[in-house]
Amino acid sequence: MKGLLLKDFYMTIRYCRAYLLMIAVFVAVSFVGQENLFFVFFPCMISGMLPVTLLAYDERSKWSEYCRVLPYSKAQIVSGKYLVGLIAQLAVLCVTGTAQALRMQAAGMLNLQNFGALMGLLLILSSVASSLVLPFMFRYGVEKGRIAYYVMIGIVTAGGIGATNLFGGNAAADGAVRSVLPLLCAAGVMLYALSWVLSIAFYKKQQA
Amino acid sequence: MNALEIHNLTKTFTGFKLDDVSLTLPSGCIMGLIGENGAGKSTTIKLILDILHKDSGTVTLLGRDNGENIRLTKEEVGVVLDDVGIPECLTAKQVGRVMQNTFRTWNDRMYADLLQKFSLPADKPFKAFSRGMKMKLGIAVAMSHGSRLLLLDEATNGLDPVVRDEVIGMFGEFTRDEDHSILISSHIVSDLEKICDYVAFLHNGRLLLCEEKDQLLAEYGMLHCTAEQLSALDPAAVRSKKESPYGVEAIVQRSAVPAGTVLSPVSLEEVFLFMVKEGKTA
Repeated sequence: MKGLLLKDFYMTIRYCRAYLLMIAVFVAVSFVGQENLFFVFFPCMISGMLPVTLLAYDERSKWSEYCRVLPYSKAQIVSGKYLVGLIAQLAVLCVTGTAQALRMQAAGMLNLQNFGALMGLLLILSSVASSLVLPFMFRYGVEKGRIAYYVMIGIVTAGGIGATNLFGGNAAADGAVRSVLPLLCAAGVMLYALSWVLSIAFYKKQQA
Repeated sequence: MNALEIHNLTKTFTGFKLDDVSLTLPSGCIMGLIGENGAGKSTTIKLILDILHKDSGTVTLLGRDNGENIRLTKEEVGVVLDDVGIPECLTAKQVGRVMQNTFRTWNDRMYADLLQKFSLPADKPFKAFSRGMKMKLGIAVAMSHGSRLLLLDEATNGLDPVVRDEVIGMFGEFTRDEDHSILISSHIVSDLEKICDYVAFLHNGRLLLCEEKDQLLAEYGMLHCTAEQLSALDPAAVRSKKESPYGVEAIVQRSAVPAGTVLSPVSLEEVFLFMVKEGKTA
């Protein structure tokens, strides 16, 4: 398993430099800029898509075939990608969270309740993308799985716009969202776990 | 002990069937799995490694059924695929570190020696390697974790003659240890003729023959004659024939033709081509 993670680490450093740079820029902008949540959310969404990007590179280089001749179980091969996603999401969450905490502190607005709500939203955003897309990738391969990726982007974008239009500036709605946020976070974590199990089951059925 | 035993292996896909394949590779030997593109060579190797699930039959790898703890068996099986499959951005040094964390029996010293022997740069990315270098890196990985069996899927295809010769020499060296064996698939029969102890011919998913190479070549001879001369022979002696306006070329069983019949030696490629064209089993 360590070998799979190490290989993905090397690939992330080599292929995802642009992502790492984008994340750094967005975190920096979210720190110094106005209170625009897009710059806060975007790095988390990118980190969630890292396993999908790595899977695409694996398929292109035929690693996805080669790794099956190595002494790894199918569950380990799938779990490697979920662990990489988890590590990337937590790392970006930590960086974004620290930046936001410092920004709030500098503005004299650091409030544990607000900060907690923001982190909860970031956690959901960073995990939902890979949770929804990865099972399709492991079931149908990267090419067909891309369709799920585009559908997911559409749903998240439409959902975001719809929610802003419906509840934006509405204090009652804001309060309601905050009250169910812990439940949403728990649902996000469960969705990730369910997606993990589902992907293992799909991959076990898949034949080279 | 046999390194590999396959009995009645069958797998059906839409439009293709690997049909009732049985073969045995004794330890210390090299077997060539010969067949044209699409004959079922890669499918056989995937079934051996349990990457594909068989419909029926049994596969015993290094004394263990391939359905039982295949991960443990894979520690002792080195595999080189046609496309190698190493990520393009990785250097040979990074590949070594990845494999060190993959195989319990990884031998870093041996890997370094093989990189040197194959003149492979340690810090160049895989994508900058030529086809021959890529294949040599795959072979170096396969030989650096205490493998007792190498499964090589078209590992010599596309290599230039110098590299091919070098690689074939390495395989010969590997099997000097009686505990080491190789199953190598290829459609380049001349490569396999040099190194194989056993040959198996696959055609359209069916095994045409599986025999000791020297015995096969000693058993058959090439007869150049007229159609009338051929018809005078015992039909059972003729394995396959090719007729042309200039006469007949036939592969015949040496023991079944009259003494004194002039036969020229037959090559593995000729036996294979004749059998494939006639679809005969030996």
